[in-house]
Amino acid sequence: MQHPPHLHIELLTEPFEPLQKLEQWQQERNNADPEASAAEALFIGRVRGQSSNGQPLCALELEHYPGMTERQLERLATACGQRHGVHHGLVLHRIGRVLPGEAIVLVAIAADRRGTAQRCCQELLEALKHEAPFWKREWRADGSGHWITGNTPW
Amino acid sequence: MTGLGSATIRVRLFAGLRDAAGWSEQEWPIDLARSPEAVWQQLQLDGDLQTVRVAINHAFAAADEPLQAGDELAFLPPISGG
Repeated sequence: MQHPPHLHIELLTEPFEPLQKLEQWQQERNNADPEASAAEALFIGRVRGQSSNGQPLCALELEHYPGMTERQLERLATACGQRHGVHHGLVLHRIGRVLPGEAIVLVAIAADRRGTAQRCCQELLEALKHEAPFWKREWRADGSGHWITGNTPW
Repeated sequence: MTGLGSATIRVRLFAGLRDAAGWSEQEWPIDLARSPEAVWQQLQLDGDLQTVRVAINHAFAAADEPLQAGDELAFLPPISGG
């Protein structure tokens, strides 16, 4: 069994700058051990300007299940990281009202090899899209709100 | 109310399920709450339990898992994270 990865998991109620968060994360790791991980994979997801029916989107509302969402992210990231044998994982996810163009999710993985890092990053992203309790409501230009049931095409 | 009726579970709904039902949480007597499936039927919510996921105490669970007094039971509509 591989060691569990070092994880940083956070739900953010305010807009965040993914590159700043990444820099912080890299710096913390560098301070601890500069040679620890030779490969990093990352994914940044942003809110589209269009709703699922093609209308302009005003905002996306992200609801979560306080307590369970954090716990589930932790479980998913630990399991995925351990399966792939990665060193570090960073998962940031917005909650509340998120505007088009704003970052909604950041997943970053540090490992020894590119394949390991990329596979883990991709798998963890898909896992959190389907297995972590988040719900999106689209707020459209006509003032109506619509809960989204399911995910966008891969 | 007698002692028998005082033990409860907490039932929680989220997102579209909550909006359709018009409530987000309530206490439910444990003697009626044999399983999530049984509670779902008693609540008479719109929709099919097949499309809803069940969580007990913040972990996914099967619809026929036995419930205990003090449990938090949640019905989760289809997830859309990331």
